[in-house]
Amino acid sequence: MNKFFYPKLALVNLKKNGNTYIPYILTCIGSIMAFYTMVSIHSNKGLDQMPGSTNLKFILFLGIIVIGIFAVIFLFYTNSFLIKRRKKELGLYSILGLEKKHIARVLFYETVFVTIISLSLGLIGGILIGKLLFLLLLNIVHFKSPLSFHIDYWGLLITTGVFLAIFSLTLVTNFLQVKISNPIDLLKGGQHGEKEPKSSWIVTLIGIISLGTGYGIALSVETPLEALLLFFVAVVFVIIGTYALFISGSITLLKQLKKNKKFYYQSRNFISVSGMIYRMKQNAVGLANICILSTMVLVTLSTTVSLYIGQEGMRRDFYPWDVSIMGEAANTDFAAVKAIVELEKEKLNVRSGDEISFDLAHFRAFQEGSHFLKDMVEDESTDTMYYERVSNMTLIPLDDYNRLTGGNKSLAENEMLIFSVGDNYEEQTLVFGDDQYLITEQLEAIPMDFKKTQDMGHTYYLIVKDDAVMETIYQTMKNDDDPQTTLHALMFNLEGDEEILNAFSANMRAAVLQSNPDINIQNLYEALTELYFFFGGFLFLGVFLGSLFMMATVLIIYFKQISEGYEDSERFVIMQKVGMDKTEVKKTISKQILMVFFLPLAGAIIHVAFAFPVITKMLAAFRLTNIPLIFLCTLVGVVVYALVYTGVYLLTARSYYKMIH
Amino acid sequence: MRLLEVKNLKKIYTTRFGGNQVQALSNVSFSVEQGEYVAIMGESGSGKTTLLNILASLDKPTSGEVFLDGKNIVTIKDSEISAFRRDNLGFVFQDFNLLDTFSIQDNIFLPLVLAQKSYEEMNSRIKHLSQRLEIQELLQKFPYEVSGGQKQRAAVARALITQPKLVLADEPTGALDSKAAMNLLKIFSTINDLGQTILMVTHSVAAASHANRVLFIKDGEIYNQIYRGSMSNDDMYQKISFTLSVLASGGEELE
Repeated sequence: MNKFFYPKLALVNLKKNGNTYIPYILTCIGSIMAFYTMVSIHSNKGLDQMPGSTNLKFILFLGIIVIGIFAVIFLFYTNSFLIKRRKKELGLYSILGLEKKHIARVLFYETVFVTIISLSLGLIGGILIGKLLFLLLLNIVHFKSPLSFHIDYWGLLITTGVFLAIFSLTLVTNFLQVKISNPIDLLKGGQHGEKEPKSSWIVTLIGIISLGTGYGIALSVETPLEALLLFFVAVVFVIIGTYALFISGSITLLKQLKKNKKFYYQSRNFISVSGMIYRMKQNAVGLANICILSTMVLVTLSTTVSLYIGQEGMRRDFYPWDVSIMGEAANTDFAAVKAIVELEKEKLNVRSGDEISFDLAHFRAFQEGSHFLKDMVEDESTDTMYYERVSNMTLIPLDDYNRLTGGNKSLAENEMLIFSVGDNYEEQTLVFGDDQYLITEQLEAIPMDFKKTQDMGHTYYLIVKDDAVMETIYQTMKNDDDPQTTLHALMFNLEGDEEILNAFSANMRAAVLQSNPDINIQNLYEALTELYFFFGGFLFLGVFLGSLFMMATVLIIYFKQISEGYEDSERFVIMQKVGMDKTEVKKTISKQILMVFFLPLAGAIIHVAFAFPVITKMLAAFRLTNIPLIFLCTLVGVVVYALVYTGVYLLTARSYYKMIH
Repeated sequence: MRLLEVKNLKKIYTTRFGGNQVQALSNVSFSVEQGEYVAIMGESGSGKTTLLNILASLDKPTSGEVFLDGKNIVTIKDSEISAFRRDNLGFVFQDFNLLDTFSIQDNIFLPLVLAQKSYEEMNSRIKHLSQRLEIQELLQKFPYEVSGGQKQRAAVARALITQPKLVLADEPTGALDSKAAMNLLKIFSTINDLGQTILMVTHSVAAASHANRVLFIKDGEIYNQIYRGSMSNDDMYQKISFTLSVLASGGEELE
């Protein structure tokens, strides 16, 4: 036999099965591109030099793992779908006299071709699009200086290795498929009469209960910390509920509809209901997958985009003042520090805005009613409310307060003014150790900080009579690793171009620390770079994974439509023979596709709606409290996703109709 | 009374680019009386299926006319053709064409549901019918749970439930074993005795020998026909076999 016989046959097979193999190869190319891009960005040398790149690299590494797992699962799924569709063809070969080893050889060549095509195109695409995405990433994280992007040979090698392994595994499973079946089975592959699916009230009930529990948790969460802790619990419940309801709930519902004779024996319901029962049996898991994938895409996109857009507003929450310099009051020469700052400002011609300076003491305490304890509770890990009761306390002497506000308040030895960043302080007194202090006033504003809608734990500013009182309280309450004495703070804002301010911030930090290494400097502009890296990295990964999951959803839908098209075409021919006209056929088909198609989307949108309260609370933990912004991002995400989804629907519905006629 | 009248039917299939023309029916004319049981026989490629498809209004002739109960079905508009088929014709196919997703009962109901009959009416119709076809026990089962003969009886029930003017059967015994086939043919004879007009296309001499009249079709034309008259099924069988062998040898001299 001609030695080119098998490769030729393999090539012809791929061409003949183009309408399923082309999407499959595209999936492979897409996965390879995604994987290579992530690996190459992760291992880019230039990234190491950027500040805050450790977080970013970790985020990218997570991305590599997720894409790898995803590729394995997804390529296996599509491959098994393809080989099932081709059983008849393979059966024909063995009846025509090809032995199993010959069929295996054909399958081998097919896999070789698919591998060569997808690896070469995928890697070339990865190199091209990787460069583009890398530039995009740099832009997202506000990193200006252009980094070179080389072809990453190590990345090429890893990607090739991983995907060769995946392709070999799919080939092995295909071999097994051929090996365990005889020609008659192959010929009849997939033509067995389908049993009517059984529905189980218990599973349905479990589904309703766990979905209800998940939603209940989502709605009852009140604080950001609860949200962070309980979100994944709710997610697990919702996932279980989704699967149970798609698998069993749908069939239970349809069977109830079927029992209602008046409803069921109407021409518009008759075919849809019975068709849907079977379709749900075959597709419940697939539809539940689509529903969960869609929810994931929507949640990922809306949170990452909200965080990225909202970070401008969040940074003020983290840093009420652009620069704050603190040092121990007793051992720091603040006049010298200020001179250094002025010098650096002059060098780069930076102007500063408002400026305040004051004495303070800072410590953490554990709040129990009006008592503030130094000792932390011992079983902190088991008490979820623990973090809710940790308080950040800042003491400020009255003269500094009066000087900064221009006020003229007075206090006795055992009196205090209080400013709470979050909700108002509810008690009348404050107790430190054995000393009780009376609150004479709840302040509405304070120069060094401002009210926030969400506060992690509590942040209190206490105005006390004088330095002596402050010192007394501080010595009672301070922990071992706190500074020995009370502090002095210098805070100011900066004006000018961001890039110059970045440079100034770095220079100033170096100069001040050189004069006194114990000084603590917090700088908005330095922090900003890190925030950009953090949220930018998140956004990048969110969009990247979002698009990947979207591609998966699209392909699952496409394959589903095709396989159903083949089966349904026979059924609709019969219906036409017994007197159903073409427009009715068309109506019934579109009703069915519409239901199958938009059920997961509707499910996903409901999930997102219920998740919204938790998402806002969780984002509040990142200090993002702009709920209208989050709502807008989520809404835009849902609309865009629904549009893409509908586009896919229209495309696949077309190839489905073609198959029916 | 004439129920079906076929006049000068001609069907030419043209390949897509108009290159080859295949004449499936050259000139077919015949008629079927109300209450008749007619079998059409012929070899593969003789044009039987084309003829049946045209009678079933699934295909249009190149020329010629078909009247069912005085109405020309060739000129019926596309939008009305399904309703016409549903109301006037019943079909029995070789491969049953039952839908796997419906129970036997729902399969039988299908044409009535499409015709938007009420559930009560469907129910009263099926009771009578299922008894006569001995499928009462099977109504709640699904097609994959019953035998071929049972499936075909369900298909006959589906064809009869609309009370059609004409039942068209395409090789109804083709996929059945001899016992099930005999059973089905008996049912056909019974329903014919009750006044149902039946037109059956078949290869099987045994099947055709049950009919009142057998038409032979060859090369797209009616070649011969046999009337039962007072003949028994066995005599009929002999005569059909003889005609077929003459037909096969290409003889012209018959009668």
